[in-house]
Amino acid sequence: MDNISTKFYNAFIYKDRWILYFKGLGVTMEIALLAGVIGIVIGCIVALMKLSEPKKGRKHTIPWYIATVYVDIIRGTPSVLQLLIMWFIVFSSSNNGVLVASLSFGINSGAYVSEIIRAGILAVDKGQTEAGRSLGLTRGQTMWEIVLPQAFKNVLPPIGNEFITLIKETAIVGYVSLSDLTRTASQISSRTYEAFMPLIGAAVIYFIIIKILTLLLGALERRLRRSDIR
Amino acid sequence: MISVKDLHKTFDGQEVLKGISTEIDKGEKVAIIGPSGSGKSTFLRCLNLLEEPTSGEIWFEDQLITDPKTDINKVREHMGMVFQSFNLFANKTVMENITLAPVKLGLMNKDEAREKAMSLLQLVDLVGKADVYPASLSGGQKQRIAILRSLAMNPKVMLFDEPTSALDPEMVGEVLEVIKVLAEDGMTMVIVTHEMGFAREVATRVMFIDEGIIMEEDTPDRIFTSPRSKRLQDFLSKVL
Repeated sequence: MDNISTKFYNAFIYKDRWILYFKGLGVTMEIALLAGVIGIVIGCIVALMKLSEPKKGRKHTIPWYIATVYVDIIRGTPSVLQLLIMWFIVFSSSNNGVLVASLSFGINSGAYVSEIIRAGILAVDKGQTEAGRSLGLTRGQTMWEIVLPQAFKNVLPPIGNEFITLIKETAIVGYVSLSDLTRTASQISSRTYEAFMPLIGAAVIYFIIIKILTLLLGALERRLRRSDIR
Repeated sequence: MISVKDLHKTFDGQEVLKGISTEIDKGEKVAIIGPSGSGKSTFLRCLNLLEEPTSGEIWFEDQLITDPKTDINKVREHMGMVFQSFNLFANKTVMENITLAPVKLGLMNKDEAREKAMSLLQLVDLVGKADVYPASLSGGQKQRIAILRSLAMNPKVMLFDEPTSALDPEMVGEVLEVIKVLAEDGMTMVIVTHEMGFAREVATRVMFIDEGIIMEEDTPDRIFTSPRSKRLQDFLSKVL
C-alpha cells in the first residue's frame, strides 16, 4: 500500500509533476486541433478536385490526377515517416515545432478526410443535383447550396472518428522531441524508474478526453438527425 | 419553340436514342408514351441537356443548345423540369425550395420571390406548408411543390418526367389536377407519362416512342382510337 502511494506521489505530486501532464495534454490538443482544421480544409479541396467533371472525351481532370497522387502518397507511407520528413527535411530550419507537426498531421489527415467527404458527397441523391441544375443553377451553386449541406450530415460521424484517431496519432511527435502527453509520461517514468503510474495516468487522460468527445459527437449527430423531420 | 434534329444517345455502347426529330410549338402539350426502356425519359432529359446527346441538334427558340458554347444554365432557366422522384431539396424548407433559384440567379429579390412563392402555394392550397421541410410532406404534396418550384422561374416550357409514377394511387389525381390547370393556362409542356387517360384528355399531340425512335405521333384521338403501327397497337392493348 505504502509502495503504491509512494509511486503515485513520485509520478504526479512530487515537484508538481501533474502540471507536466497537463502541459503535455495541451501540446497534444493544440497539434490535434490545428491538424484537424488543416485536414478538413485540405480534405474539402481534395474531395472537390476528385469530383471535378472531366471534359467530353476525357476520363479525368488534371485536379483529379493531382488529388489522386496526393492521397496515394499519404496513404502509402507511414505517418511517422511523413513527420520525420517534414521535420528534418522540408522544415528543417523552422523552430516552431508544434506548427510543423500540425502541418504534417494535417496533410496526412487531409487525405483520409478527403475520401470521407467524397463518399459523403456521392451519397447525396443524384436527383438533388439534377433538380438544382435543371433550374439553371450552376454546378458550384448546386454543390454549395444543396449537396454540401446534405453531405455534411453524412460525413459528421466519420470526421469525428478521424479527429479522435488524430488525437491518438499525435503521440508519435515524441520522435521529433515535442513534449506531448505521451512523451511527458515516458520522460517522467524514466526519471522515477517506474513505468506503471505515468503511463497508465497518460492513458487515462487520453481515454477521458476521447470519451467526452465521443459523447459530444453523439449528441450533435442526434440533433442533426432531428432536423430531418420537422 | 423546340426543334430536335436527328438526336442520338448512346450509353456505354448501347444506343438508346436512334435518331429522333421533331418540332414542339409554343402552347403545345406533348405527351410521350411508350414501353419502359424505350428511351422516352432519355429523350426528355436530352431536351434540357441533363443527358448530353451523343449527336444531333436541339434548338430552343433559335438557340442551338447542343452547341458547347451555349450557356446551358441560362437556357435551363426557361425550361422547368419535374422529376418522377420529386427531388425537392431535402435541406431546404418548402419556401426555400421555391425561392432558391430565382433569388440565386438574380431574377428576383428575396421579397419578390417570397411573394411569388406564396401566390403559387395558394394555387395548390399548401400555404400552410411554407416553412416545413420536404421530409414531412406526402408524395402528392412534394410533387405539387416541385411543380411550383419550376413555375417560380416563369419557364417557357415545362418538362415532366413521369410525374405521377412514384405516387400512391390516391395522390395521382391532385398532381394531375395541377398539371391540367397549367395546360389550360397555355403552358407549353412535354410530359412523359403512363397515365393514358390523362394523355388523352390534356395532350394536343401524343408521341409514341419505342426502341429509340418516334414510332408514331398524332392527335390523342387518332393515337388511341386508330393506332397504325403494330407496336403501338400491342402497347395500347397492354396498358388500356
